[in-house]
Amino acid sequence: MSTKRLPRRFDSRREFLLRTGMGFGALAATSLLEAAKPLAPRPPHSRPAAKAVIYLFMHGGVSHVDTFDPKPELARLHGQTLPPSYAKGLKTSRIDFTKAIIRGSPWKFSRYGRGGIEISELFPHLAQHADDFVLIRSCHGDAFDHAPAMYLWSCGSQLPGRPSLGAWVVYGLGSENQNLPAFVVMSDGAMKCGPQGYGAGYLPAIYQGTVFRAGEAPVLNLSNPPGVSSATQRATLDFIHQLNRKHLEARPWDDELEARLESYELAFRMQSEAPEAVDLSKETEATRKLYGIGEPHTDDFGRKCLLARRLVERGVRFVQLYSGTHLGDDWDGAHNDLLGSHTKMAAKSDKPIHGLLTDLKNRGLLDETLVVWASEFGRTPLAEGPNGRDHHPYAFSMWMAGAGIEGGRVYGSTDEFGLRPVEKPVTNFDVNATILRLLGLDHQRLTYYFQGRDMRLTDVHGENEFTHFLLPHRQVAEAKPHA
Amino acid sequence: MWRLALLFSGAQLLAAELAEEALRILERNCLSCHSRQLALSGLDLSSREGALKGGTRGAAVRPGDVHSLLLQAVRQESKLAMPPGKKLPSDEIETLRRWVESGALWPRQNSAPGQPVWWSFRKVVRPAVPQSANPWVRNAIDAFVLAKLTEKGLKPSSPADGATLVRRLYFDLLGLPPTREQIDEYLRDQRPDAWERLVDKLLSSPHYGEKWGRHWLDLVRYADTAGFELDPYIADAWRYRDYVIASFNADKPYDRFIREQLAGDEFWPEDPESVMGTGFFCVGPNRDYYPDQADINRVETLTDYTDTTGSVFMGLTLGCARCHDHKYDPIPQRDYYRLQAIFAPAVKTRIALNRLGSLGYDVAANSREIKLQNIGEEIGAIQHRCRSKIYAQKMSLLRPEVQQALQTEDEKRTPAQKALATENAAKVAVSDAEIRACLTPEESERLRAIEVRLVSLFASYRPKPFACGVNDVGNHAPPTFMPVRGELLGVRVEPGFLTVLGGGEVGPGVDHREATGPIPLGPTTYRRKSLAEWITQPDHPLTARVMVNRIWHYHFGRGIVSTTSDFGSKGALPTHPELLDWLASEFVARKWSVKEMHRLILTSATWKQSSQITAEHRQKDPQNQWLSRFSRRRLSAEELRDSVLFATGNLNRKAGGRPVVTPLSKEETFGMIGRMEDSWIVHFDPSEYRRRSIYLMQKRTFRLPMLEVYDAPESMLSCPRRDSSTTAPQALTMLNGAFVMEQGARFARQLVSLEQTEAIRRAWRSILLREPQADELANARQFLVRQLETTGNDEAALVELVRGLLNSNEFLYVD
Repeated sequence: MSTKRLPRRFDSRREFLLRTGMGFGALAATSLLEAAKPLAPRPPHSRPAAKAVIYLFMHGGVSHVDTFDPKPELARLHGQTLPPSYAKGLKTSRIDFTKAIIRGSPWKFSRYGRGGIEISELFPHLAQHADDFVLIRSCHGDAFDHAPAMYLWSCGSQLPGRPSLGAWVVYGLGSENQNLPAFVVMSDGAMKCGPQGYGAGYLPAIYQGTVFRAGEAPVLNLSNPPGVSSATQRATLDFIHQLNRKHLEARPWDDELEARLESYELAFRMQSEAPEAVDLSKETEATRKLYGIGEPHTDDFGRKCLLARRLVERGVRFVQLYSGTHLGDDWDGAHNDLLGSHTKMAAKSDKPIHGLLTDLKNRGLLDETLVVWASEFGRTPLAEGPNGRDHHPYAFSMWMAGAGIEGGRVYGSTDEFGLRPVEKPVTNFDVNATILRLLGLDHQRLTYYFQGRDMRLTDVHGENEFTHFLLPHRQVAEAKPHA
Repeated sequence: MWRLALLFSGAQLLAAELAEEALRILERNCLSCHSRQLALSGLDLSSREGALKGGTRGAAVRPGDVHSLLLQAVRQESKLAMPPGKKLPSDEIETLRRWVESGALWPRQNSAPGQPVWWSFRKVVRPAVPQSANPWVRNAIDAFVLAKLTEKGLKPSSPADGATLVRRLYFDLLGLPPTREQIDEYLRDQRPDAWERLVDKLLSSPHYGEKWGRHWLDLVRYADTAGFELDPYIADAWRYRDYVIASFNADKPYDRFIREQLAGDEFWPEDPESVMGTGFFCVGPNRDYYPDQADINRVETLTDYTDTTGSVFMGLTLGCARCHDHKYDPIPQRDYYRLQAIFAPAVKTRIALNRLGSLGYDVAANSREIKLQNIGEEIGAIQHRCRSKIYAQKMSLLRPEVQQALQTEDEKRTPAQKALATENAAKVAVSDAEIRACLTPEESERLRAIEVRLVSLFASYRPKPFACGVNDVGNHAPPTFMPVRGELLGVRVEPGFLTVLGGGEVGPGVDHREATGPIPLGPTTYRRKSLAEWITQPDHPLTARVMVNRIWHYHFGRGIVSTTSDFGSKGALPTHPELLDWLASEFVARKWSVKEMHRLILTSATWKQSSQITAEHRQKDPQNQWLSRFSRRRLSAEELRDSVLFATGNLNRKAGGRPVVTPLSKEETFGMIGRMEDSWIVHFDPSEYRRRSIYLMQKRTFRLPMLEVYDAPESMLSCPRRDSSTTAPQALTMLNGAFVMEQGARFARQLVSLEQTEAIRRAWRSILLREPQADELANARQFLVRQLETTGNDEAALVELVRGLLNSNEFLYVD
């Protein structure tokens, strides 16, 4: 029997090491106590371009043809129907592609940066960063409802229950700050994907995104219970420690009991460090202004963006921000009010994102931080009702900045109506494999044994031309794609 | 390896190992097409005779000849390139070459012809129990375990002490701790069968089903809602939850339990209790409510049915075969669709629990609906006068352009008007309170009369007598197609069973139902009944093995096959294969009684071992796979929550009923999907908040934060085993969470009237189930003095004592 077949027989934490594919070598080299620290930093597979990710998720579906993918044909043929050959095979819940009329964009586009990238007037601040990001115009998928599309792009499957990108990243790399959560999520509240959009799926629960709440105690149960002073808390912690120490002494060789003792100390440190991390009063007025904090439309998202920078600065691995909710303001308002929803949502996030990119750059953090801007799908170039656009998963745009990526470039293109990619189509798998690669992780080696398979975020798909387009030059020589 | 050891020894081992490896390569890569059952191109590589005889191209293996057809094919030198679409790694090709060159030894030659190659696909053969004179051995389990320990140079551990065993037993069977009094009662019992009596007592407790039903709910990915962006309630899902608990409590024979879940409607159509088992098909994730996606949803639903059935009942990971022949197990894609075809006619339905009552039709609800519509209109009419009066007043205060914007229909508003309307909508809203203040006495009186009618309408409102389940659309099933090269309409496939397990077709559904009651029973295909009969054959190689292994896993923390839902070739091999087969045959012989298996295991010396780890264990059996001790374990999420309630005297033992929603803070519910008033309907009665965790609402998109951090499953996919993580958020939850504080405070209120030493002893007995030792008592006294200083009052200091004990490892771990 070859040793290859062995590593499937361990339980709980011990099995964890093996499920990770680290194998016996790692088991021998790493004490079991180390294995009990699932967020300890772990070396990447190859030299990383970035250490951390800030993922800006525009909840509800941003219209690509009104933001990053100008289509003059839409204005020219406004009010007419599509040529039948174009409509074939396209389907959404609310419109019929053979009957709905073409809608031109109400916004003007201009060229920005060295590459002359065309961006609409919805993003006047962000447009100044055209040289910082690579714009991808050829994203496409087939999930035309929100939750499945969000699961597809975050977790690699339309069905929930799989680990999200952030969970995979912290599973692969651990975290550089043990006193803060490794994967932080900030949202506007109820989202259509629910917690499974940033969940750990079949990975251990520690890898799921921790939602930061507003206020001084961002993590659940971070504050002492009401009425309990810090002196009382410390005395009780000492009492617990005493009980557990005695319990452990009578039970030698048990790493798990020891790890639990340590988890209380970690919890205690987290109680002091997390409130400091979220304290924006430490920032200068100029910095706060840069993010639009204090202005009515931008205050909320501006705070989130600034907080994201503070967290990344402190070694947090993955920060996911959502703009928009299931119930309140949302990009999805475009169903019946394209103009209103997109004007409002763009105004909420445009300046804060500009602030984030500027601030990261000024502090030298942009080079080691990957910033991703994405949405679950685009919107139909055709009209839904008198004022709207429906969901359009068949072509849409996203961008990526930082991580040494050479900005000012465009990848892929869509047909003259923005219906489908015509050049270099990009899927969720391509994007996620590439993000992992930028972090120094090989998507084929980042696996977890579950239901009879070594599961991975990219399923059976792989890196491709897109990865190489994005990879900073200094990295190209090192990356050895298996495909 | 274990099989080989029986056949070979010494010098032969090397050749045998090579052969074993070679056969495994064939098994993984070739047998899904070239086995006795399928034999594509006439080639059967499952036996030496078959390989030598070869197929249409001639002999595949010529012993000693490195140019054998098989080797040519895997080297892919010519057009004959196997396996299709990929190439074996060079080390595997090399293994095959060496194997053929050295004579193509076939060490499994003594297996019966036609028997599958992989161990778990062969029928169970009851092994002889090893003879042992060692007095440690209490029953057959111990004999097998001891033989293995001896082989590994290990000795069993001494038994744990009585109090430890009683606590372990309570958690194992009930998921709750004992009281100190219950421990003492056992320790005082001098009868020779005191232990057996205690086991029987706990097995007959209604709490037993709550613990073991929870294991089953993990497997069948149970939740009370459907998931996705609306996460709607699954009507009556909890009836299935209660059905599972009742089934375990009644020790329903496992074969019957399977039959009810897969096809209760086809076996016993007139017995709602049995039909309720088909809730199995309804309690999983689904997006039935998505518009215009019936086709996609149907595919996903059938996939879920097929995969979950394979995983739960047979321990097979069929999912891989959905898109291609299974890479590791001999499950061709065709088999996957044969199995899926069995479910093709099944559709979700509502099961009337009281069939004779109302033809599955809720007459009361129907008339109530009409009454409500009438009342709704009447309220509107009474309020109309005041509402329009107040509205007009408010409107008159606004600027004319705002008035116009508000009065224009939404569709006709200009963008500017839209903005104005949104901004000002609240200014013209009329509240209930405003209307109430404006009503005349006569109008108020009419409203009060309506309130009385409403209350009487709902006074006896209860969950309706329905459960969720499935039945067939009729006795003709829609056809099933196997996709070929991405085409949706591929090859038509008829329902059937897995080829490697003997296969067989599902016969045409002859419907011999007769309407026996007032309700005509619908026709059905009997496909699921055939499947259930096939799965529950006493000699099915997987069914009994998989279930006894699960039972073993839940008792010992690790299965004899550690991958409890993967008995395929990618899963783990059994550590004690003979023991597994003995248990499986015993399970069937004892009429599939789960409780009998508990009795066997719990009266073994193996289970009663101490959990102390020694240096020798650490070296020779670090993972405890050879059972050299009992594995200490952390409480599961539900056990922990239930134990906190129990230890502090707050547990509400009420069983069953609709799921309970407890109040949570705004922080805790942050991110929950949907409007809180619809998504989180908090129960009105606080005593309900202290019920066992299995009865709490399980929302598929929102786990109770406390249960979530302690690794409660996500209920999206079947969960055969839980993680047991140790994290800082867990510590924060137990340390600072409102739940622990609240239960601690309730307990402290009882302690405060006691003298200090007595209060400490009482806390120790309730939480740690023992008396404090002298040093502990002294420390606790000191601690209370210290906390009296920091908090300023006795009760608060006692809360700290209780909080401390609830956070101890002694409370959280089972020795």
